[in-house]
Amino acid sequence: MVADIRPLAAVLVSAVAIVLIIASHRRPNLREGWSVLAALAKFGLVVSMLPAVMDGTVFRWSLKESTGIQFLAGIDFALRADPLGIFFALLASFLWIFTSFYAAGYMRGLSEHDQTRFFASFAASLSAAVGIAFAANLVTIFVFYELLSLVTYPLVAHNEDEEARIAGRKYLTYTFFGGGVFLLAGTVMIYWLTSLVGGPTLAFEAGGMEALAAAAQVEPVYAQAAFFLLIAGFGVKAALMPLHSWLADAMVAPTPVSGLLHAVAVVKSGAFGVARVILEVYGPGLIYDLPLDVPGIGEVGLNIPVAIVAAFTLTAASIIAMRKDHLKRRLAYSTTAQLSYIVLGLSLLHPYAIVGALFHIPAHAFAKLTLFFCAGAIHVETHTDYISEMAGIGKRMPLTMSAFTIGAAGMAGLPPIAGFVSKFYMLIGAGDVGGSYWLFAGALLLSAVLNIAYFWPVVYTAFFESEDRHDAKPLLEFPEGGLIQSYAATADDESVAADGGEPADTSGIENEPHAADTDDYEYAVDKYPSDHTTADDTDAPSQHTDARATEASTRDDHDDHDDHDDHDEAVAAVDHHGDHDDHLTGGPPAGGWPRRSPRTESTWLMLAPIAVIATGAVVLGIGPDYAVFLELATRIVEGVFGMPFEQLGDVPFGELMTEVTN
Amino acid sequence: MSNVELLPPLLIAAPLLAATLPIVLGLWTDRTGWPIAAVTTTGLFGAAVALASAVYTGTDVPVTHELGGYPRTYGIQLVADQFSVLIALLVTAVATGVLVYTRQGGPRGNTFYTAYLLLTGGLLGITLTGDVFNLFVFLEITSIATYALVASGDGPESAVAALKYLILGTMAASMYLIGVAFLLMATGTLNMIELAMAIPAAERPTLIRAGFGFIAVGFVTKVAQWPLHTWQPSAYQQAPDGVTPLIAALVSTASAYAFGRLIVTVFGVDYLTAMPNAAAIVLTIGCVSVLAGTVLAVIQTEVKRMLAYSSVSQFGLVIAAYGVVIAGSSETAFIGAAIHLLGHGLLKAGLFLGAALVARSYGARTVDEYAGLAKARPVVAGAMAVLLLSLVGVPPGVGFVGKWYIALGAVQSQLWPVAAVIFLSTMLTLAYAARLLEKMYFTPPAALDWPRTREPVATDGGDTTVSIGMLAIVVIAAVGAVALGFAGGTIAGLLEPFLIEVFN
Repeated sequence: MVADIRPLAAVLVSAVAIVLIIASHRRPNLREGWSVLAALAKFGLVVSMLPAVMDGTVFRWSLKESTGIQFLAGIDFALRADPLGIFFALLASFLWIFTSFYAAGYMRGLSEHDQTRFFASFAASLSAAVGIAFAANLVTIFVFYELLSLVTYPLVAHNEDEEARIAGRKYLTYTFFGGGVFLLAGTVMIYWLTSLVGGPTLAFEAGGMEALAAAAQVEPVYAQAAFFLLIAGFGVKAALMPLHSWLADAMVAPTPVSGLLHAVAVVKSGAFGVARVILEVYGPGLIYDLPLDVPGIGEVGLNIPVAIVAAFTLTAASIIAMRKDHLKRRLAYSTTAQLSYIVLGLSLLHPYAIVGALFHIPAHAFAKLTLFFCAGAIHVETHTDYISEMAGIGKRMPLTMSAFTIGAAGMAGLPPIAGFVSKFYMLIGAGDVGGSYWLFAGALLLSAVLNIAYFWPVVYTAFFESEDRHDAKPLLEFPEGGLIQSYAATADDESVAADGGEPADTSGIENEPHAADTDDYEYAVDKYPSDHTTADDTDAPSQHTDARATEASTRDDHDDHDDHDDHDEAVAAVDHHGDHDDHLTGGPPAGGWPRRSPRTESTWLMLAPIAVIATGAVVLGIGPDYAVFLELATRIVEGVFGMPFEQLGDVPFGELMTEVTN
Repeated sequence: MSNVELLPPLLIAAPLLAATLPIVLGLWTDRTGWPIAAVTTTGLFGAAVALASAVYTGTDVPVTHELGGYPRTYGIQLVADQFSVLIALLVTAVATGVLVYTRQGGPRGNTFYTAYLLLTGGLLGITLTGDVFNLFVFLEITSIATYALVASGDGPESAVAALKYLILGTMAASMYLIGVAFLLMATGTLNMIELAMAIPAAERPTLIRAGFGFIAVGFVTKVAQWPLHTWQPSAYQQAPDGVTPLIAALVSTASAYAFGRLIVTVFGVDYLTAMPNAAAIVLTIGCVSVLAGTVLAVIQTEVKRMLAYSSVSQFGLVIAAYGVVIAGSSETAFIGAAIHLLGHGLLKAGLFLGAALVARSYGARTVDEYAGLAKARPVVAGAMAVLLLSLVGVPPGVGFVGKWYIALGAVQSQLWPVAAVIFLSTMLTLAYAARLLEKMYFTPPAALDWPRTREPVATDGGDTTVSIGMLAIVVIAAVGAVALGFAGGTIAGLLEPFLIEVFN
């Protein structure tokens, strides 16, 4: 432990940037400059600690030691840069650099409102995420976890329309339930449990807190309850089912948010928290040994229920993803599934599986960020959000869709991409334990197939189908073998393709662009509205207010009796922020997609980040040994199990678990 | 030494005497009230700080003073220990801060400041007295001043609210007095320290139990716990905007403090733990109030009324903490109660000042009217957002610190249902706080009645100017709420000697 201010500086650098961003709200270039500068500074600070941390140094900053202020009785507000913390901080700060360029391009491309608030909240989110990474004890991580929920809320509710507000409410409810209720309850219980066997402590220790191991012998039931409370608390942000549904709704946020925060920083903070709990609060040994008596089955380790939930989540979320026509929502469910890979790998407790799970954090981050960036670029350039409208879009956005293909392959775990490496380690881990763990290995393999099933149609339709001849999407909703349809003809009839068509004009038209073609059957979303709630919800009010808006314009002066909500909706509908009604305007223009070269398909502000991140995903897959993350992951696991990684494979699993306890 | 000893009587006598000055000087001019109040409260704050530094750093603690030199067995004793000084600091600080608003924000007039100073004096009396009957006297002074202040609002609703408060408040005080009478019957003394020694030895415990019952009901009404809270929302809502921060922050807080004082100092935790059902009753009242208060807060349309119901639930947390103190002899829960009293007082003062400011300058009183506030009034909206989030218990705000200790106390005492209520209270508070935040930040103002400030909303003669001082005081409250969030360990350390004494 070396006292050092750098962990704090890494947290605060973007907090300082918030002030600068707000101060320069009149000068957009300067404002975005601060974002980039803060991102570079943050990354620089994290990297400057990296070599020493690789050699086993732990940098530590504590409020008490540096200022004498005691945060809570018996608890210090402390940050420390250990291998696990550096791992997450490095990832978040590295990706932020590119996201800040991309965000500038995206927000300007759409002429979004309140950009200052957006960039300020974004910087704050990164502060909180790095705070989570470097938190040295459960209370500190709780503080940043709550702050992260808070500062990402303005980003989710950014659009200020009814859909965004509802998503924001759901977001706050879920995340505060996870943080303020489950996580806090678990933390308090750990504090109490450790105080039973000596001085209360909450500080993380590689391999598990010793005081907790002793306390678990005294109060096994409460120790188990605290474990599940903590996992549930972090599981909310990691989108474990049944606590996942906020994530899909949060996709109303601008795409850079969906990309960096809801595929990397925020959701990974949940997975990271699970890693802290499993590796450094309880420790694999204690989790394995603390028997949970299940009626009918007997005693199982605490990790088994978590693994079952994760395995279920990754399968179910993949199946749901196949049914989503909205690209970002499909990506969101894919994120839900992929996060469960991480949780599953961690909960298998085998060192190889843990390495795989940890490596999956950057592997998924790179690939998913690529996918979201592509979705955002498509949205900015063509206002297309629905996969069913993307036939032939490869002509229009060749580079973007190529990057998308790389990202999708990474999700499925195909060899040259990073996702393969992590999945490989997890499979080895599960297989090495054997027994019932083969089930979890099976879930991993099945999920790879499902990944292809929901990503391939996107790639296929973009490159190999044309605007006037393509299958109806999503494939799962139509007869086997697909159903040929096209919207080229209807586009002329309805003139819905015209960009920026005011919704007021279309209020009489069906809310589906394919109404003419789809007379014979219904969309699944209409048959089962619950599957698609948000999109449908917004359709209804926007239709409703469209009519009202027209009406209101004729009787401006005398409708004081209307309540405020109606006015709000009317304003939102007219304001036309972007995502809200773009499915009325998406899809190819009347003559089909124009052919563009990779250099002219979008602005460099968006294309450069896409290219860099996609390349990163490939580099991580080809040379994981050279790209720091895998090495850090093995270092973390060595710290947890207390022996060199090469030897870990030779020790039988059961023995490994008991040795860790001692 | 001797100088410090004079501070407690000075803290009480000075505002009571100064309260007469605005009336006397009002014979000549109508503008003397504010300067006198400002000088007095600033002086009181200085005196409270001096007293606090003596109590927290000195060796001769508690600082006591026998009024008139009569020994405490039959005279009145004033006591300043680690617990009471904390509340005295809050009272004097808020009383000084609110004046910054009332200077321009009103209400005006010398009689208002007379009542203001009477109230301050009464609150300090409650805080510092060491005698249970004397406590009753100060409770009455506080209540009467509050009735007058509430009634000074515009319109008949204020009068009704004041009358409602008068009836329930008098009932509560009578309950307390009956309880004191029982204690006197059983023990023959009224001094807190003497009572603490006499109660465990009392020959007729039934009298003590009855006494505790009456006292508990009296304070539960004064603190506005469900279902005896009904006076409080109307009183807070109908009182003039400049008055609500003061009474919301301090009046119930002082009563809650007095209840805590009686529990730990007079009856003693051990005695109450052994008393059948005492813990269960106090816990139930607290927990039910937490839940009922929030549910009622969520359905309100008026911001001031919503915040008033929020007080019901927040004081529910304090009362629940007392219940944990009784049930589990938990020092931690007591620290939590003290911090939450302090924090809630500060938060509510700030929030009601913010609400007053918004009503004055933006004309918004209902939750819906707060739409678009963040763009029109970014500073006050930001400060209110910080205060609301602190109230929810987002770390590092003071609300979190109090909640942490209370929850920890409940868990340590293994009172799981109570712990569950406390953890859930975060969500419940979020329900109404987020509603206001969403309106302020993410709802565009309704197009048709914009700009709303055109119509005179008649807070005080249609004057809608906002002084820098008014803004500053709300921002200071917000900053203070976050700063105190880091003081959890410090406050616990300051209370430590007191806890050692009362928990043995």
